[in-house]
Amino acid sequence: MSLFSVKNLSVQFNTADGVVEAVKGISFDINPGECLGIVGESGSGKSQTFMAAMGLLPPAGQATGSAMLNGQEILNLPVNKLNQIRGDDVGMIFQDPLTALTPHLRIGQQMREVLQVHEGLQGSAARARCLEWLDRVRIPEAKRRLDQYPHELSGGMRQRVMIAMSMLCNPKLLIADEPTTALDVTVQADILDLMVRLQKDEGTAIALITHDMGVVARMCDRVQVMRLGQFVEAGETREIFRAPKHDYTKTLLAAMPRIDAGDAPKALEKVDEPLLKVDDVKVHFPIHVSGGLFGHKVPLKAVDGVSFDIRKGETLGVVGESGCGKSTLARAVLQLIEPSAGNVSWLGHPIVGLRRAELNKYRKDLQIVFQDPLASLDPRMTISASIAEPLKTYRPDLTERERKKLVAEMMERVGLKANMINRYPHELSGGQNQRVGIARAMINKPKLIICDEAVSALDVSIQAQIVELLRELQQEFGLSMIFISHDLSVVRAVSNRIMVLYLGRIVELGDGEVICSDPIHPYTKSLISAVPIPDPDVERSRTRLKLPGELPSPMDPKAALRFLPSRLAAGENDYVPLLSEVKPNHFVAEHDPLEAIMAKA
Amino acid sequence: MLAYIVRRLLIAVPTILLLIVASFFLMHFAPGGPFTSERPLPPAVLANIEARYGLDQPLWKQLWDYLYNIVVHFDFGPSFKFKDRDVNDIIAQGFPISLTYGSLSFLVATTVGVALGIAAAIKHNSWIDYLAVGLGIAAQALPNFIMGPILILTFTLWLGWLPGGGWNGGQWPYLIMPVIALATSYMGSIARITRSSMLEVLNSNFIRTARAKGLPTRTVIWRHALKPTLLPVVSYLGPVFVYVLTGSVFVDIYFSTGGLGQAYVGSALSRDYAVLLGVTILYGVLTVLVNLLTDLAYAWFDPKIRY
Repeated sequence: MSLFSVKNLSVQFNTADGVVEAVKGISFDINPGECLGIVGESGSGKSQTFMAAMGLLPPAGQATGSAMLNGQEILNLPVNKLNQIRGDDVGMIFQDPLTALTPHLRIGQQMREVLQVHEGLQGSAARARCLEWLDRVRIPEAKRRLDQYPHELSGGMRQRVMIAMSMLCNPKLLIADEPTTALDVTVQADILDLMVRLQKDEGTAIALITHDMGVVARMCDRVQVMRLGQFVEAGETREIFRAPKHDYTKTLLAAMPRIDAGDAPKALEKVDEPLLKVDDVKVHFPIHVSGGLFGHKVPLKAVDGVSFDIRKGETLGVVGESGCGKSTLARAVLQLIEPSAGNVSWLGHPIVGLRRAELNKYRKDLQIVFQDPLASLDPRMTISASIAEPLKTYRPDLTERERKKLVAEMMERVGLKANMINRYPHELSGGQNQRVGIARAMINKPKLIICDEAVSALDVSIQAQIVELLRELQQEFGLSMIFISHDLSVVRAVSNRIMVLYLGRIVELGDGEVICSDPIHPYTKSLISAVPIPDPDVERSRTRLKLPGELPSPMDPKAALRFLPSRLAAGENDYVPLLSEVKPNHFVAEHDPLEAIMAKA
Repeated sequence: MLAYIVRRLLIAVPTILLLIVASFFLMHFAPGGPFTSERPLPPAVLANIEARYGLDQPLWKQLWDYLYNIVVHFDFGPSFKFKDRDVNDIIAQGFPISLTYGSLSFLVATTVGVALGIAAAIKHNSWIDYLAVGLGIAAQALPNFIMGPILILTFTLWLGWLPGGGWNGGQWPYLIMPVIALATSYMGSIARITRSSMLEVLNSNFIRTARAKGLPTRTVIWRHALKPTLLPVVSYLGPVFVYVLTGSVFVDIYFSTGGLGQAYVGSALSRDYAVLLGVTILYGVLTVLVNLLTDLAYAWFDPKIRY
């Protein structure tokens, strides 16, 4: 008998624009101990299905149909009945661990109240159970964590706490709604490993809601592909990946970039005069720390001595985990933040410390596309006005008519319909807004575009379209790109060379294919091995290189030498690892042998 | 934390000094003086009086003497209008009255306002919500100079239940109307801020987590939602507290309570320099202290804030 059985479930929302049907009569079963993947893009109704079953829909939502847990109907139960099931028979974890825990309650308090409500367990017995679970989700120093507040823990740790909390009463079903989407790739791999183990050891069934086919390949026994509130395809994971039947599943699989695809763009010829030359750039932010009557300031070294150059028509990928200084570097290159030290030169002219008017001459050629497409456009300007604005600055000689013509051409070029000219950003989708952002950056035909996580917030199929668009524009206008992303698969698909950053410093820089298939630095190796590959056979047979410890804070003075424990042992805390060319065009930062680093754990 | 409090108090000293200097000069630059009247005094008499109060001295000397007397003798000088009374007396008489009905108003406005706001948010889009929102808007639209006459008309003239004014040592029949008059509009604002803040919190991810854990609704509301809800309310309460503590000129006039509000406005109109400056300094010190208290309260509501 199946553990969880949904029959003909529909979810409707009463909105100001009328009734919206988010889920349209779907049925599925989850068997005890299995992992079922529900895959779909944003708005497909995959989360709402489970929210409805658990009685967590917003007040405007209504659910009809049936959801049986262990043969008992749970759909639309009164709250007090549902409360006996939620947190006890069914545990839930959510996408954004940073906001999922109550900020003013200690970890221990939040965990204990689950035991109090469902098992009447209190005091030292409850504390012992919480400790046990924190240990089982491999949280270091579990005892100390019980008395900490959520903001004192990293995102990955908070997600572990969420998992521990939802597992406290040994639920039969764990609903995981995009549990790793907001996390760095190595942290994602850790969390997924943990969930696999819980599934095996505890026999917990997992409903994994995700948009990431790589995660599905690693985790799921069966898959349901969802689109526009309905299932389009269902089956064994291997079957779905080997022979997808529905067109949508095929599109979804084709859109997923693979890190092992082996078709990265080739490196360009080396030239004497690079377009952009970045020389030992540093960005240090003064951070106020308490201590003494007035406290004092210490520098946070967001970018700490980065040098590279970019040739005409080249794409340089920049990867690294959160806090490694990717975005700060981009802003420093464009002089949106003044670097604390170092130099940036554009076609041989230094642009650091220029006055605003002089800098503006260069800005015409240096453009940027930001991560959040909606937030980076002025909400009170129509999209055509946003696209036209750079023209007003740099081509004041144009007449109104000429400007409109250029805007219309550029909109058509990036795939925006002509009838959208008077739309506002909130009326467009994320993908369309990002096209606006690209059009705005491209309108003056710049020579370099920095894409700062430009496709990270988009669905995979949209992401693939935007990447394709950027590639075409690059071919057409011969422009150079700095492509910043935490997603190594995407970076590999577009970059001639890839630069790996760790806490503000370069650890490895080389040709894209070489970095992905034959990395040398331990950090790069661990990053690449953590990237999920959308192919169940490959993904499940891979071994992961797992470095000891969590991603350290940039404020930790010893963190910078994580890969040189020998220097730390010698007390040389300020030692700067050297970057040397180990093979032609392949630069690697100095590091101890892998065994020495692993032994530190 | 202690270092933070000491630091804030140290910064308060130059702040208050700046307040004194600025008010002192502004006051003296305003046309007229304490002894100008419609029927001008003979110049010799005027010169005599001004000499008695030191007004013939250069401004910087007057300022210096004023500061010297405050620091050394804690003496804020004599009133220019009321013979034989000095500023210390006037404040000592008026401030306790303002403090009494002011802090009561603050308590009433906060408890009733927060309760209304929470009830409205929990029963969102129900009759309770509409009633609370209606009450809140109505209350907000009734400033104390409107509430005063309405209350007196109703409870004194028509119903004859309450005395129409006076203080009588703050007995409760004399307190009720001033407190209600002063509290009403703040209560309305507090109810509205609490309601919208609570609605936002109830939509947040951690409340979804709390519900997913199977916690009863009352635990979700009181344990998880209340503190974050009150955070924006607290930042509104700080300035309200100062304003309410120092009383209100309208309440003092309508209900003849004899609080500091009336003395303050009166001293400004009659250029009673010493009283005006004295009360201004009191307001300044209170503002600084309450702002410090508000910032400390933040740390209790939000563990992310640490000093």
